[in-house]
Amino acid sequence: MADPLGLITTTGTLPTEIGRGASSVRPTHDGPSFKDVLKSQIDEVNALQQGAREAVEDLASGKRDDVEGVILATQQAETAFRLLLQVRNKVMDAYEEVKQIRV
Amino acid sequence: MYGALDISTSALVANRVRMEVISANIANQGTLLNADGQYEPYQRRDVFIAPGDPTTGSNEGVHVAEIRLDEGPLRPRMEPGSPYADEDGYVYYPNVDPVVETMNAMEASRSYEANVMAIEATKAMTSIALEIIA
Amino acid sequence: MIKSVTNGGAVDVLERLMQFAGQRHRIITNNIANISTPGYRMQDVSVKGFQAQLQEAIDARRNDPATVDGPLELRETTQVRAEKDRLDLRPEPIGTNILFHDQNDRDPERLVQSLVENFVAFRTAAQFLRKEYQLINMAITERP
Repeated sequence: MADPLGLITTTGTLPTEIGRGASSVRPTHDGPSFKDVLKSQIDEVNALQQGAREAVEDLASGKRDDVEGVILATQQAETAFRLLLQVRNKVMDAYEEVKQIRV
Repeated sequence: MYGALDISTSALVANRVRMEVISANIANQGTLLNADGQYEPYQRRDVFIAPGDPTTGSNEGVHVAEIRLDEGPLRPRMEPGSPYADEDGYVYYPNVDPVVETMNAMEASRSYEANVMAIEATKAMTSIALEIIA
Repeated sequence: MIKSVTNGGAVDVLERLMQFAGQRHRIITNNIANISTPGYRMQDVSVKGFQAQLQEAIDARRNDPATVDGPLELRETTQVRAEKDRLDLRPEPIGTNILFHDQNDRDPERLVQSLVENFVAFRTAAQFLRKEYQLINMAITERP
């Protein structure tokens, strides 16, 4: 039988042991936090925008002549930025909502 | 961009004047009498185009500097029976060579077309620039 | 602060390219207008020269972290001088050696090619510029 909180013991120990038992099944932290994910996404968007900027500058100065490549770079950067902006808006909305919760 | 439009327009005007003069030359290649009915063979006209526009003082664009009479020799034709023949029987006809006029007409027409192309480009570029804010 | 919003990104490079193409259009148009003018010689500004000027300013800005988001500084040449909101172009004769009977060195095919190439450069710069402004607007209004 499943016993996630460790309340059922085979020995006859008192319920004061319950807290200690519960702490032994704390879920392990096996992935990056949301904060880290967001930070890495921001860095990636930054890198893409920087790359797009350099691509456009190189096209303008004649260093490269493939418009298609530059368009792809700028579109990638734009899409990533839009996604990040959307995520940021959702986070802000969620924060506002949580603020409204009456405890 | 409006400066570019003025430049092309001045060229269109100059070329149109050229076409009109060429048409007059061709139409009058057999004209022997002047407006008073006297014997005065038509003299070919020549158009001189120069850069710049004297009305605005700008040195861009072109204008017709002069429409000059061609002082070249008239063309004699043997017509002893004509009332306008000289003592050797020659009547002098206008110094218009249809072949030369046709070549000039083609060139004027080509210049006109090239300037129309330039105007199309000017129009498109103005449009494109405005689309940035629209 | 307002300036730095538009300095980040390729906005000033695109603006300079658009200014260059817009003014070169006028030079090419004047060449086309003079296609029948006796004694006229075609003029132009060197595209490669301007591109080298741009490249130089871009590299100078990129390599120094202090100036990387600052304004673009274009060196002055005999043909192109950068002012605050425009470029001052000084065209020179192209120097073709084939003269027609009226001492004009017209080359209609070359003029048409220049006209078209220049137009395409202008349009490309304008469209990328539009995209840049849209992105800035998106960030300001927080509306993706």
